[in-house]
Order: sequence, then C-alpha cells, then structure tokens
Amino acid sequence: MSWPAVFEAELLRLGLQPRRARQLSTETVQQAAEHASAPADIFGPAHLYARHLVSELTVTAPVPMRTTGPVLLRLTGVGKRYRRQNVFHDVSLTVRGGEVAAIVGANGCGKSTLLRICAGLTRPTSGTVERTRRVGLVPQDGGTAGWLTAEEHFRLFGAAAGMARPRAASTGDHLAARLAWRPRRDQRVQQLSGGTRQKLNLVLGELHSPDLLLLDEPYQGFDQGAYLDFWQQVFAWRDAGRAIVVVTHLLHDLANVDHVLDLSS
Amino acid sequence: MIANRPWLHGFLDLCLLAMLAERADYGYGLAQRLAEAGVADVPGGTLYPALLRLEQQGLALPSWAPSEAGPRRKYYEITDAGRETLAAQAQEWTRFRDGVDMLISTVVPR
Repeated sequence: MSWPAVFEAELLRLGLQPRRARQLSTETVQQAAEHASAPADIFGPAHLYARHLVSELTVTAPVPMRTTGPVLLRLTGVGKRYRRQNVFHDVSLTVRGGEVAAIVGANGCGKSTLLRICAGLTRPTSGTVERTRRVGLVPQDGGTAGWLTAEEHFRLFGAAAGMARPRAASTGDHLAARLAWRPRRDQRVQQLSGGTRQKLNLVLGELHSPDLLLLDEPYQGFDQGAYLDFWQQVFAWRDAGRAIVVVTHLLHDLANVDHVLDLSS
Repeated sequence: MIANRPWLHGFLDLCLLAMLAERADYGYGLAQRLAEAGVADVPGGTLYPALLRLEQQGLALPSWAPSEAGPRRKYYEITDAGRETLAAQAQEWTRFRDGVDMLISTVVPR
C-alpha cells in the first residue's frame, strides 16, 4: 500500500469519519509537496504519523475537571494465607468512581488472587471487602469457549446479565469496534489470535456496563496499537465515572493512574 | 531542532498566530519564517498538526490558492478569535520570559 493509503486506513481505524480521513490524507500529501518531498521524508511512517496527528487534534478540548464519585471498592486490612503461608497481609485500598488503581508486584505475590478477592470469587483470610453490586471481571485466561463465535459469547454473557439478545450482540460489536476489532460471524474463538481473544475478554467484562471493572493484565498478546487503544479505553471508562482496577507489571503504565498498590513491598 | 527545545511546543501556537496576524501564509512559508527568525527549524510533523489545530479551534481560517509551480497551497488567515488568543498568549509569554530573564540574569552574564 502507498503512504497515503496506509495513512488513510490508519485514520479510519482510529475512528475518523471517511470524508475527514480522505481530506487529511490529501492535504498531508500536498504539505509534503510544499517541501518538494515525499510524505515519508517529512512525516515518517504513515501509521505513526496518523496516530500522532489524531492525538494532536484530540488534545485541544479543554481537560474537564475530574471529579471522583462514590466509593465503589474498599479493602480494609485484607490478607490471604495459603497453606500456612502468608501470600499478603493487611492490604487496604479505596477506589472511587472516576479513579484507576493499579496492582503491581513481582510474579507470585498474589496479584491475581487479590483481584479475585476484589471480585468476590475468593474469600480473604482476614479483613473486609466492600464493593458495588455491578462488577465486571476480566481474568487472565478468560472463561471463553473455543467452539463458539464472538457473537455467541456476547449473547451468552448478555443473557447471564439479563440483557436482550439483539442488544447484547450490538453492544458487543460496538465495544469491539472501540478496540479496533470487528468480529466475524463465522469465526470461532479458537481461531482468534491471542490478542483478539483478549479483546473478547475485555468486551465480555464490560458488556453489562459494570460500575467497577477488574482487569488482570488484559493486554497480553496486544500489539502496540491495540495496547494504546486499551489504555485510551480505560481512561474513557474512568472519565465516565467508573472505577477500574488493573493488575499490571508494566511500570510505565502507572503515570496516569490514581492509586498504585505494590504487593511485593 | 525542536527536539532540544521542548518549551517551544508550548509557544508554537503563539508564534504561528503572530506570523498570521502579520500576513496570511501557508505551511512551508511559515516554516521558513520561523527558521529565519531563529526560533527553530520546526519539522512538518509538528507544524502541520499545529496548523490543523488552529483551524479546528477557529483561530485561523484556511483557503486554497494556486501556486506558480507545484500543487495548490492552503493559506491560513487569522480570525478575530485568533487575535484574542494571540493577545492573551502574548501576555503569558511576556510574563514567562520576564520570569526566566530574572532567574538567569543574576547568574549568567550577558
């Protein structure tokens, strides 16, 4: 594909209207021509410049004052013992609507266990957990079925949350599109790549629009673009007043989160 | 280069608006004027998004004009809102410059 074609395709993928994408692509070629150069020489790789341009054009809106909402998750003095071994003890964390918390720490320090405790799937040995009623959990190895399609998953999980079938399917498609994924009707989950399966997990976790989202390293297998889409999505949830808890081992993720809980300390 | 002048990014809009207040111009022309003024060699990947941003915010109005050689050019003209922003940002710049001047003047001889 030519530079303008790649550029335009990436703009579309990032959610620009087709007309606007075409216009920007035409203009960018003309701008390069002003310098008597090829677009690649002035702007670098097409897909990277497309992302740069979109982020430059979207930061202009004044940042709204962020206000935090009610407490949606509160851990007080939570501990877990497993076979007489302390996995962790005396963990406290309060997350309000409009906040993002990150759980970090070395492998085996109990990050996933703590997330399951947050979700109410595992009982802590000590301490108390208070949480809102509507919770979405995205586990690391999601409870998906390889022989079903994405749409069948949307309906199945939607039914469990009391959603009507068509609504579950269209909501699923819509949420998938935000992660730059268009599920195919004839494709079973076992045929999806690891990264796409992770996107399915994310969509399923959000399908019933929970107030509290618990995510366990939900970007394994994502490429760089999908990874950025994922964090944009997290901040969109946050700005919509939800509370998000993310288990992560990537330290550069932590710049924009509100709370960091280090389990290894 | 803009890379080793990180503060320029915050004042690029101001420079562009000031140049457009003087006269309407197109991207390459603005790049040359910035370089001639000794402000910076602004790469296209920084300049053109900034111009589109001014356009989106209604601070500059684009119009197409043919060129003697090569493709048509997108000329930008400053709007009334652009002039207001220019005045406000110029004031901010003066405060900033005076502050930095004061901090360095006692330790760095001119």
